[in-house]
This record gives sequence, structure tokens and C-alpha cells, in this order.
Amino acid sequence: MNTKRLAIIEGVRTPFCKAGSSLARLAPDELGRIAVNALLTRTGLDPALVDEVIFGCVSQPADAANVARVIALRAGIPERVPAFTVHRNCASGCEALSQAFDKALAGRGSVFIVGGTESMSQIPLLFSQRAAEKFSRLARAKTLGQKLRAAASFRPADFKPRVGLMLGLTDPVCGMNMGETAELLAREFGITRAEQDAFAVESHRKAVAAEGRLSSEICPVYLPDGSVIKQDNGPRTDQSVEVLAGLKPVFDRKHGTVTAGNASQITDGAVALLVMTEERAAQLGFKPLGFIAACTYAGCDPARMGLGPVFAMAKVEAEAGLTVANADLVEINEAFAAQVLAVLKAMESEKFARKMLGRATPLGVVPLERLNVNGGAIALGHPVGATGARLVLTALKELARREGKRALVSLCVGGGQGAAIWLERNV
Amino acid sequence: MITFNRIHPKGDPKFARTKSGKTALVRRTCMPVSESAPPTILREITPEQICVLTFNRPNSSANVFDWDMLELLGEHLDAIAEDNQIKGVVLISAKPSIFIAGADLHSIAKYLDEPTIPADLANLIELGQDVFNRLASLPVPTVAAIHGACVGGGFELALACDYRLASNDSATKLGLPETQLGLIPAWGGSTRLPRLIGFPAALDIILNGKVLAASQAMRRGLVDELVPKESLLDAASRRILTRGAELRNRRAPWKVRLINLGTVARTAAPFVHTKVAKKTRGHYPAVLKAVEVVTQGIDRSMEESLALERDAILELAGTDATRNLIRLFLLQERAKRLGAANHYSLGGVSSPGGGSGFEATPTLPRVSRAAVIGAGVMGAGIAHWLSSRGISVMLRDLMPEFVARGLSTIADLYAKGVKRRVLSSIDARKGIDRIYPVAGESPLNVDLVIEAAVEKMDVKKEIFRRLAETTSGNTILATNTSALSVSELAAATKSPDRVAGLHFFNPVHRMQLVEVVAGSETSPAVVARLVRFVQDIGKLPVVVKDSPGFIVNRILMPYLVEAGNLFEFGARVEDLDEAMLDFGMPMGPMRLIDEVGVDVAHHVAVTLAASFPDRLIVPDVLDKMLSGGLLGRKSEHGFYLHNADRPDVNAGVNLFRLNDSAAQFSRAELQKRMVLLMVNEAARCLEEGVATNAADIDFAMVMGTGFAPFHGGPLRYADALGAKQVVAELNHLADFGESHFKPCGLLAQLAERGESFYGKKGGSS
Repeated sequence: MNTKRLAIIEGVRTPFCKAGSSLARLAPDELGRIAVNALLTRTGLDPALVDEVIFGCVSQPADAANVARVIALRAGIPERVPAFTVHRNCASGCEALSQAFDKALAGRGSVFIVGGTESMSQIPLLFSQRAAEKFSRLARAKTLGQKLRAAASFRPADFKPRVGLMLGLTDPVCGMNMGETAELLAREFGITRAEQDAFAVESHRKAVAAEGRLSSEICPVYLPDGSVIKQDNGPRTDQSVEVLAGLKPVFDRKHGTVTAGNASQITDGAVALLVMTEERAAQLGFKPLGFIAACTYAGCDPARMGLGPVFAMAKVEAEAGLTVANADLVEINEAFAAQVLAVLKAMESEKFARKMLGRATPLGVVPLERLNVNGGAIALGHPVGATGARLVLTALKELARREGKRALVSLCVGGGQGAAIWLERNV
Repeated sequence: MITFNRIHPKGDPKFARTKSGKTALVRRTCMPVSESAPPTILREITPEQICVLTFNRPNSSANVFDWDMLELLGEHLDAIAEDNQIKGVVLISAKPSIFIAGADLHSIAKYLDEPTIPADLANLIELGQDVFNRLASLPVPTVAAIHGACVGGGFELALACDYRLASNDSATKLGLPETQLGLIPAWGGSTRLPRLIGFPAALDIILNGKVLAASQAMRRGLVDELVPKESLLDAASRRILTRGAELRNRRAPWKVRLINLGTVARTAAPFVHTKVAKKTRGHYPAVLKAVEVVTQGIDRSMEESLALERDAILELAGTDATRNLIRLFLLQERAKRLGAANHYSLGGVSSPGGGSGFEATPTLPRVSRAAVIGAGVMGAGIAHWLSSRGISVMLRDLMPEFVARGLSTIADLYAKGVKRRVLSSIDARKGIDRIYPVAGESPLNVDLVIEAAVEKMDVKKEIFRRLAETTSGNTILATNTSALSVSELAAATKSPDRVAGLHFFNPVHRMQLVEVVAGSETSPAVVARLVRFVQDIGKLPVVVKDSPGFIVNRILMPYLVEAGNLFEFGARVEDLDEAMLDFGMPMGPMRLIDEVGVDVAHHVAVTLAASFPDRLIVPDVLDKMLSGGLLGRKSEHGFYLHNADRPDVNAGVNLFRLNDSAAQFSRAELQKRMVLLMVNEAARCLEEGVATNAADIDFAMVMGTGFAPFHGGPLRYADALGAKQVVAELNHLADFGESHFKPCGLLAQLAERGESFYGKKGGSS
């Protein structure tokens, strides 16, 4: 068991807004800058004390390569402080945190600003490779004849964009879209459309009820036109099973059960966390929100990437010496309702434990009153690079409100991985 | 004074040339140089036989021309002329941000208070013309390699060269600002620039006295080529070696020669003259002289044109307007450099010339992070300015919506700056990124807090009480109040020593003056840090003792109140404004009230009236306008209607006049009443020690209100009139029952003794 912990001092995030809505015009570096800027004002931290800035981002912007460095400089972190960007798909925000965890425990730095940022509104449209080659031939053409020939080689199909968002959500190894992997789990675990829709409605209900609580972790975003965005816009007050039942399945139009309503929303947002070693926090007089006690990642079948949390939770059990029963709160990222429900079933299944986890006993039952108590990505949205950090922030603040001791946070990760983190408070 | 290394090139054993070196430059000094003091002008010969003159005035960050430096340059030129191996000459500066900043105004400052212009000045003009002529007539090509400020005499030197290379650096600025000082370019600038770019383009530069960035100067033909600053010398040498003959024999393009025909210039001259005379209302003779010299000299010989320049500048130099403009320039320089040590001892009178050469205390902790409380127009304006000057600024208000409004004001200011090409869009974004918005409370880990919240004493007291408790002992707590008492505010806190006033003027990005207000408990170190801070952000500080309205509003308010009262009694809005435009104000009082906002003017007037009930009675018209929602420009309605392109007088406000008031006032009478009230109040400020000297008050009024600069400020103006006459006129008005005209004690005393504000005491320039 690991006895060293990383203190999470404070965190803040932008509102999470549906792609194409209020924050659509803000690039990922701007979203991240706003979060770090707010983190600095909230904590009063002298930016010169920061040892490194680490940010997760899945669709890293072409015009702000190593977006973490751009964020750090724009937020006023001194130039001498290095920064890097991490990518572990949906767990990128989580990865930024675990990088700091590992570095701090290895004695390589004691104060980190970590987080995640994603503008899913701004994931670019791309040209096909064939079109790109034609463009480059046109650019290289010197004589008029060459130019005309190059220009004439274009065909209408060359101008059809490849949608970056869709490419990113398709697994290149198994060839399945993320939604299709959820459909697979729904079929294999026998999860009905009605169960998924009910889970989704519950996510919205919890998120709407939590609006006031969540506002404590949100910083306003001031737009150049003088307006101010203060709230998540994903949660719907009028969401019902009846409304959801009317939606068409997206990924398997004939036989499928996964709809836009019972999957996570495509969202823009950023999260920033201030983390330190326990000694440094004490030295600087910061009172931590809580600590990371353990953090791990596990791989699994890419076609069943949604089960990632089960594998990761099994793996982190040994690392933390804790079981699901020790958790006052559990967060399982809601990539898809079907996927979370499959995870819960797998966690309870002795057969799954034996066959897939190589252990005799199942992981355990997650009581629903401890699961995603403030709603999840189905209601709040899933800005892929930021979510991991959001789950940690939300869980820690809720743990404090409940005066709980421990929380277990997990995510499924595209490409067939799972992440699991044990958080704890001093009580 | 600086000691020069006179050189005697011929026969000097150290005058040696290098034989080796294939790359750019192997330098050899040709004169004895002591380690500690590099020569003012270093002459070197490169292996390619190019002579490089490097300007490097010792013990100074600037190169300026004074008598000695001109003579020295002349000696170098003589030596060059005798050396027939030299292929060309490059003039360059060793200073990091200045090529040559023009004539040394400090050296002519001693003439300012003498009744006539001494012959020295004529000699100096002639020496400059002569040396620059010698440069121009060298048989070899000459290239000015310009990096940094190249203005006035510095640019005239460059004009005497055959070719001008400038660095494409933001420090590089070129122009002829002489008319701003009431002078004209007289070391050949008024002669050579028109011949280079045509007289209309040259007049545009000379009359406006503007200083141009390198790219603009390039576009307008002031320089021939832009290169990176590191390549200046190399590029200059290559031009000489590859295009030397061509450079030496350049002719102006046919367009320039065509427009420069004497007939064209003489036809255009009266029109330009009339236009300029109307715009300046005759207050700025230098611009009229510049029109004359340029248009008359254009088709005459160099000698004749230079003689015109010389006669004009000698005539101008003797005028009061010019003396006052030069004094103001020197006061600005003083404000930029002065350390607080000479400023904050509010008790005494500073010594004449006090402060020049003062070195700022290096130990003062610099302000790098600040917080502004209140995101209204002033708060946002201050936050914008600080962020644009590289300071991180927390912008705090109670509600996100208030913060949002402030941020959008800031975004607009930056957008306008980008549009006007004052800064790049990258710099604008960097500036905006330096703003840290906060709605509600947050830790204030900053060096300086500037409060710009609502002008209510109880609100401010609460803010400062909390600030003093929640900030570290090193954080300065400043209020931007325009009229409330800093000392009273400070007394509400547990650390009054770090509470001070920092009074910016609206619009912040345009107004250079900042009043640094020392409360009764404010520590000298805090005042010193604030003075330094104001200088660091590119503003001009004036240190003021805490008293109602400080200097600027205190003196301005009786003037605005009088304008309001005169209006009520029947004076017309346009007469009031024209009267003061005639006096030389940039804007009349009624227009000014509209611009600052009737609500703001009313608030300041009421606050001051409470302190000075004997002489300030706020006119009812302001109350009436306030309750009628006529707030001036911000509501589009005030004394003027602002919805059109050109504001029209708002006939509606005439209803707010007193019954049957049809008093007739001549403009001269209106002007006299308004101006004398300012003079009287300015004298009172000095009497009460609000400022330590007359110069501070005049400086504050010119920089803070645009008070007719050529008059030099209200006290300088009073000296010009004579205290006796001022007192007589004030008494005359007071005798008619208007007690607010009663002259203050100091004025009466000066009148009685036949003294002046600047004669016996107070003057510091």
C-alpha cells in the first residue's frame, strides 16, 4: 500500500456547455486559460511557486500545439515553468493529475497546476489525404499550365470534409464507433432501452438538483460581448422517460438501444486543479480539499472499452488496499448509460470476476445512492479531455459536503482502457 | 559637464587602420579612450575604409546635441573631409533606445527666465546649421543608421545624410516635434524635409509635431529602408560599398520636384496659413511660422532657406508661449524622472531645479501585481491601462454582471487600440490575458490595490477596512476617489500608513497625469512607491496633499460651477465654450461637463461645495439636468445633443435657466470670470500647501485639464498678468457682491509686495 498522497488544494472549472452553444467560440487554450486564471484568483497562489503545468486535451488544436504551455503562459504562469500536454483519450484530464501524482511522489516537483480542456465545438473538419495531395501539388505548381492542370484534378468528392469529431470517436483498431461498443455491451449484458433511458433521466434529475452545489466549482466565463456564462447548460429540467423513448438509436438504427439521450453530451469546457505534496501544502498554509491515495489504469478489449472501469477498479484495489465498499461516493463516468449499467453488472458478477479478472469474488455492489450523486456526463456533458479532472473535483467537493472519507472515481477510455482513482479526506 | 576627448587625427599615433579582418567590422579606435568614459562620438575606420561615427554620450541614456557635441561632430567631419581614403560615413548610436533625441533642452533652460534671448542661442542655431551643412557636403556617401528615438535635431542630422536606414524596432521613432515646443526645426529640418518628401507632406509632419513609428516613417519617405537593428551597421556599410555613388547623387522624384515648385507653394501658403490660424486661434505662432518658412524657403537656395529658419526660431524663442511650452516639456521630463525623495516632503519648498538628476531608489519594491476594485468606467480604464503595461490586474466587483461590463469595456479599448494600430492583436490578447476577473471576495495576494468603487464614503470605508485586514503589510491600498478625503478613509482602517490616493483621470488611456495623494498618515515609502509605479506605467505623477478635490478637481470645479451659474443667468452655451476655446482650453466648460457626465460633475461639485461653502454654490441647472436624465454624452443629451456627428447645442436646457434671466455677457467678460476663478483657486492650493510649488500646480492643470499649455498654467498665467492686476480684477468683481471672487491671501500678499509665484518662491524649473 502506498502511503504517500498528493494533496488537491482547490479546483475550478468553466461551465460545461453543449458544443455549438455558449462557449463554441472559445478555443481549447482560451477555455483552459480561463480555468487556470480563476484557479489562481481563488487560491491566491503566487504563480511563481508552480513547478509544472500539465493539461489533458484530446483534440489538440492545430494552432496551439502543446496546449498546456499555451494555457500556462496565457494564464500568467512564469515563462521558466515548464508545461506539457497529455492524451489518454477520455481520461486525459485524469492523466494530467496522475502525472503530477507520479512526479510529486518521485520528488520531481511539489506544486502543479493540472487539468483538462476540450472544445468539441472546434474539432476541425479535415480534407482527405487525396485532396491534401492535390492541394500541395497546386501550391507547388509554377507555370500557368501546371497550375491549371493541378486545379483541374480536383473532384467534388475532394471537398467533402472528414469530420474530426467522428474520426476521434471511432476506434481505429477494432473499427467500431464508441456508440457501437456501447451497443455491444447492451446486447451482451442484456441492458434494455428502458433501463438506459431511466438511467439517463436520473442523471438529469440529479444534475438539476445539484445546480447550486455544482456552482461552487464553476467560474464564470466572460464573453467579449459583455455577457457572462455561469452555469452548465446540459442538464434538462424536463427530461422524462417518455421524451427519451421517442429518440431514434444513433449507432444501430434498426435494432439499437443507444440514443443521443442516453449517451454523454458533446460539450465544451475546461477544469483546473491545484495540487501539491502534503508537506508543501502545509508549508504554504493551504488546506487541501482532499488527497489522491491511489491511481491506476488498466487495459481491456477495445470493442468493449466501456468495461474499462471494472478492470481499473480491480487493479487499484490492491494498490489502495480498499474495496468498493470503502467508498462513500463512486463516480463512474457516464460515457453511455448502457456502458455504466454494464460496468455495474460486471462488478456484481462472480462469473465476470472469475473469467475476466482472474479472482474468485466480484468487486462488489455500488449502492445507487452513492453513484454519480450529482449527475454525470449524460446530463453535464463530456468534454473528453476535461472530464477526468471534473470527476475528481466534483467528487472531492461532494465528499466534503457529506463529510465522507473516501471516493472512488473511474472512467472508461476509448481504445480499451479504464482509469480508477481513490480520493480521500482527512476526517 | 562632460569632458571630451578632443582628437587630432593627423599625426596621432593611435590613428591606425586595421589591415586584417574579412568579416563585417573590426573596430579600431582612433582616439585615446579611457576605460571608464567612452567618447561622446567614437570614430572608427573599418577595413573596407568606411568611417563609423558612434554617438554615445557619457553618463546618459540619451544622445542629445549641445554646443560641445556639435563642435565635436564638426571636428570629426573635418578629419573625415581630409581623409581621401574613406569611402563613406555611417552615423550610428550606441544607446539601446535612442539614436539622437534632439537638442539638449536642459542646456537652453537657463534662457527661459531671461527677458531677451541671448546671442548664444543664435550662435547655437548657426553652429548646428553649419555642422550639418558640412556633413551634407562631404564628398563621400553618408548613411544614418537609426535605431531608437531620432527626433528633432537628431532627425535633422539624419536628413543631412544621403541615406537613412532605420531599424524596424518599436523603439525607433522619427519626427520633428519642435512645433510642440513652440519652435520650428531650424537645423535644416524645415529646409531639407520639404525637399526630400515635398512641402505638403513635410508640413504635415512639422505642423503636427508628431513622432512616427519606423514603418510609418518608411511609408512617408522619412527613411529609405528598414532593417533589423542588429544588421544596421552591416547594411549601411554594404549600401555605401555597392551603391555609394548612387546614394551621393540622389535626386528627389519628379512628383516631389513638381509640387515643390515655388509657384505651387506660394499659391497654397495662404490657404494653409488661414486653416492653421483658425484651428490654433492664434495661440501657437510656431505653426504659422513653420508654414511661412517652408513655403517661402522651398525654391530658394539652402543658405536663404536656412536663414529663414534661423530668423524664425530666434523670433519664436523670445515669445512667452514658447517659453511656457518648453517649461512644460521640462516639467514632464522632471515628472518622468523624479524620485519621490524630492516629492513627498510636503512641508517645504523644493529647491530651484530640484530633482534633476535624481536617481530613483532601487530598493523600492516594484508593483507587478495589482487589483482594481470596481469594474465601472474608471476601474475598467485603470485595469486596461495597467494590463497594457505588463501588470497583472485582478478586476473585482460584487457581481459577475458588473465584472462582465468592465471586461467588455476593456475588450473595446484593446480593440480600438488594435484598430488604430497602437498595438498588435497579439499584444492586445496578452493584455486581456493579464486581467484576472473576480466576482465577490478572493484572496488579494497583490502589491497594490486600487479602489474605484462607488463614490460613497461609507462604502469605501467598509472596503478599506476589509482590505487592511485581508492584505499583507506590503500591499498599498489606494483609492481613485476624485474628491473624498483620503485621510478620513485611512482612519477607518487599522493600517492608515499604507492607504493613499491614486487619482487617475478619465479617459485613463489618454490622460497622462495621475495625482498621488498623501493622506495625513500615509508613509513616505508608500508615496515613493506610488510615484515610481505611476512612472513605471508611463504616466506622469504629481504628489498632492490630501485635501478636497486635490489639485485638478479643486481648481476645475469653481470654473465649471461659474460656467453653470453664468448659464443660469443667461450666458449662452456656445459663448461660454467659445470664450474658453479662445483662451486656449482644448474644450469649453459646458462641453467638458457633458463629456465627464453631468452626474459625475454634480457629485464632485456637491462634495467640494460642502468643503468650501463660502465660494462654491452648485448651480440648480445641474440638479435639474440630473433629475431630467440629461447626463451629457452618456445619455446623448446634455448641454449639447450628442446623437449627431457634430454635437449641437441642446436648446431644451435653456428652460433650466433662472426666470427672466437675460443678462448679457461679452465673451471676454465670461472668459475673465472663469479664468480668474481658476487662478484664485490655484493660488489657494499653493497657499494651503496642497502642492509644494507653483510648478506642480501648473503642471497638474495643464496635464490634467489641458489648461492652455502656452499660458503655462494658471499661476504662470497670473505671473504674466501680474498679481496686482489679477487682484484688482478679482476685487472689482467681488465688490459687485460676488464674494467668491475675493482674492486669496497669497495673491493679495504677492500683489502688495509686487512679487510673483515664480519669482521669489515656488518655481522649480
